[in-house]
Amino acid sequence: MLFSQLDFWYFFAVVFLLYLVLPFRWQNRMLLVASYVFYGAWDWRFLGLIAFSTVVDYLVGLSLARTSDETHRRHLLTISMVTNLGLLGIFKYFNFFIGSFVALADGMGMSVSIPVLYIVLPVGISFYTFQTMSYTIDVYRRELEPAKNFFDFALFVAFFPQLVAGPIERASNLLPEIMRPRTVTWEGISRGAVLCLIGLIKKVVVADAISPTVDTVYGMENPTGAAVAVGTWLFALQIYCDFSGYTDIARGVAKMMGFGLMRNFAQPYFATNPQEFWRRWHISLSTWLRDYLYISLGGNRQGKRRTQVNLMATMVLGGLWHGAAWNFVLWGGYQGALLVLHRQFFGRRRGSGEGERRRLLHWGGRLLLIVAYFQVTCYGWLLFRAQSWEQIADFTARLATIRLSDFANLPLPGLPFPAITGILLVLFWDIATEASGKVRFYESWPTLVRGLLWAVLIYAFAFGATTTPSAFIYFQF
Amino acid sequence: MKNALKTIACTLVALIVLDVLAALVLAGPAPASLKTFFNYGRSVPGKIAQWKANPDLRGNLLNVSWLPDLMDLSAEQAAARPAGDEPVVHTYGMSFVVRITDAAQKARPDLQLAHRGGPAAPPNFTYAAFLKDRENRRPGDVAVLGILSYSVGAMGSFSNRTWVFEQPSPFTYPIFLPDADGGLTEIEPVVETFEQEMSLEDDPDLAGRWYDQLRDQDRVFAPAAFDLPWLDISPFARLVRRSLAQGDIAGRKADIIARPEDGTMPYAEVLRRMITSFNAIAREDGQIPIVLLVQGRDPVDPDLKALLKPWLEREGYPYLATADHQSPRDPRAFLPDGHYQPDIDARFGQAFLEVLDRARQKTPPAR
Repeated sequence: MLFSQLDFWYFFAVVFLLYLVLPFRWQNRMLLVASYVFYGAWDWRFLGLIAFSTVVDYLVGLSLARTSDETHRRHLLTISMVTNLGLLGIFKYFNFFIGSFVALADGMGMSVSIPVLYIVLPVGISFYTFQTMSYTIDVYRRELEPAKNFFDFALFVAFFPQLVAGPIERASNLLPEIMRPRTVTWEGISRGAVLCLIGLIKKVVVADAISPTVDTVYGMENPTGAAVAVGTWLFALQIYCDFSGYTDIARGVAKMMGFGLMRNFAQPYFATNPQEFWRRWHISLSTWLRDYLYISLGGNRQGKRRTQVNLMATMVLGGLWHGAAWNFVLWGGYQGALLVLHRQFFGRRRGSGEGERRRLLHWGGRLLLIVAYFQVTCYGWLLFRAQSWEQIADFTARLATIRLSDFANLPLPGLPFPAITGILLVLFWDIATEASGKVRFYESWPTLVRGLLWAVLIYAFAFGATTTPSAFIYFQF
Repeated sequence: MKNALKTIACTLVALIVLDVLAALVLAGPAPASLKTFFNYGRSVPGKIAQWKANPDLRGNLLNVSWLPDLMDLSAEQAAARPAGDEPVVHTYGMSFVVRITDAAQKARPDLQLAHRGGPAAPPNFTYAAFLKDRENRRPGDVAVLGILSYSVGAMGSFSNRTWVFEQPSPFTYPIFLPDADGGLTEIEPVVETFEQEMSLEDDPDLAGRWYDQLRDQDRVFAPAAFDLPWLDISPFARLVRRSLAQGDIAGRKADIIARPEDGTMPYAEVLRRMITSFNAIAREDGQIPIVLLVQGRDPVDPDLKALLKPWLEREGYPYLATADHQSPRDPRAFLPDGHYQPDIDARFGQAFLEVLDRARQKTPPAR
């Protein structure tokens, strides 16, 4: 059930109507059932995994609160970590590591035969395991009271708007929202509807329309350097619109029901350096990695060299989080190296972009930096999107020998007119948000102008909603 | 609440104003490409009515590829053909097959061609045309059965009108399903001729039976493409219809493609039986059968080579698979309209001649 398919909206209409008529406690039970139905629609066999992870972390949370024996507490935390990371390890990484080990052994002239597991990757497993792990760690750190009500906790793990592709919510944010009565307001509905609309435009009008061109470039055997560059620029746009579109819809749907999910993207391509990029891109993951991995490794408290190692380790593992493939590891390493280099040469604060946003449109230098850093980001996306080491090497070589004249003769189909309209609208939306410094920049506009804006967005969505819905890229992670 | 209602009202008014403005611009100075874009979203009955009212309209596909008319033409040509004439290559396919065999003719100008095809015609059309054209072929002739990957998902359809939403040429063809005896059951469409199509407005009984048949038996029929044609007046409604209809049709095709052996249209089995029958009939009539598997550029299409090549090899049926000579994943092989580049067609044409020569060596021409 994709957010961009009618099936989801029929499902949500039923859920929302029930939500409106049910009392608070039953709202949560109904949302839990709806979330399991939503997840079961992908593959009912994996419901058991969520249920298992939920029961383990619920019991560990309660037990952690009941004991002050630090050894016992550490054991409890270990149980939770082993369970969650074990699930990830088996379902997501087992075949990858076995395959890599066998390839390594083959390379060293040893013949090794280890059976692989014929299993499907459960959709969203990386998201919900990270979410439940953050809960247990927070309770262990005594930063959070454990959930008393099992059904509330189960809803925290499985809440359908953000279950399969985030944002990776913190228990300290979502659990209190689940446990207290919520109010459905016109304001919440209209704000949620706007988020859903802009998310659908990003996903359906832009990302899905760009996707065939990107697939074409990354499926070509001998593309020109210009084709690689254009394909990668478009992939940057595709992955942003696809993922942030999903997040917008997730936040919009939750907002209509009175939940406030965290912001996951803040105009990431307006970043001028890697530090700023990671403050704007997939914020729920980058802050998770910072709070639970980077800081646990020692953060920046143990000297310059150790900080660099911690940064690299965090980003490499962050890359691996995206998928069981070496190109994700390489992408993580690339991002880590950028962060290390930036820290080395510019320090922690300099150039972070704080306080500069509002001057974006008035500062040509910053614009140049944005354009330049976008190219750096895009090379990372090439590593991310490539299908093999050979393709990375080949495409890199082609970029290195790029000729401007090749841009005039691109062997690629042109983008559909609606997609171009959608790209311009998304660009307008991000510039307006960035320039005003307000996520809801439109709320200060006169009602008539706002009405016109919504009408244009609705028309633009209808204009571009002609492609077959495809799955969100981040579902595979 | 008051504010929200005010915003909703303003949005609705702005939508209506935008829609009226769009309708005025489309009726007047809009570029042709934009007019065409919005026209794609008209309902299928709306598009067909437009073609009926304007026979000279550019891209009018109303009177195209009706099987009885094709057969009348074929019979005329057969009657005019002198006895002892050179063997003719009869193609049953679509533009791809025409382009490939034309390229073969360019390389070998004495090749005699007779094309019977329809735009994006599915295998049920090409096979039905082959069957109906039997009387018009002679021993020694060559029969080419074209199978296009793009239209395999539409083998459960009676007409392009149900699955080519943007260009719904209304010509019809039967649906073939496997029967218990290893053969095929043929379900004829209620509307079989151009004359019947033109009489639908004046014959509510025929129209009723036809639409009932489409709704009940056509596996790709999407109600969103046909219902509420009066909404065509609104450009916005056309956009919405286009989205819903395209999505619905694509979903139905995808469901069929996903289950080649045991779905509602087990197309792999139907194709095998069609090809078996095609070979048997052609050989019985002393003709040379050649199956032409054309792989289009859309990666969601079934992979014809993977689906049929091993079986064709095993059965010893002459065939040409375009995927053997050109990867369909290379976008440079295609023109913007989805056809192959002329030099690629020339390569296919050469390969076709080689298949033809090999088949002729095995089956000496009958006289």
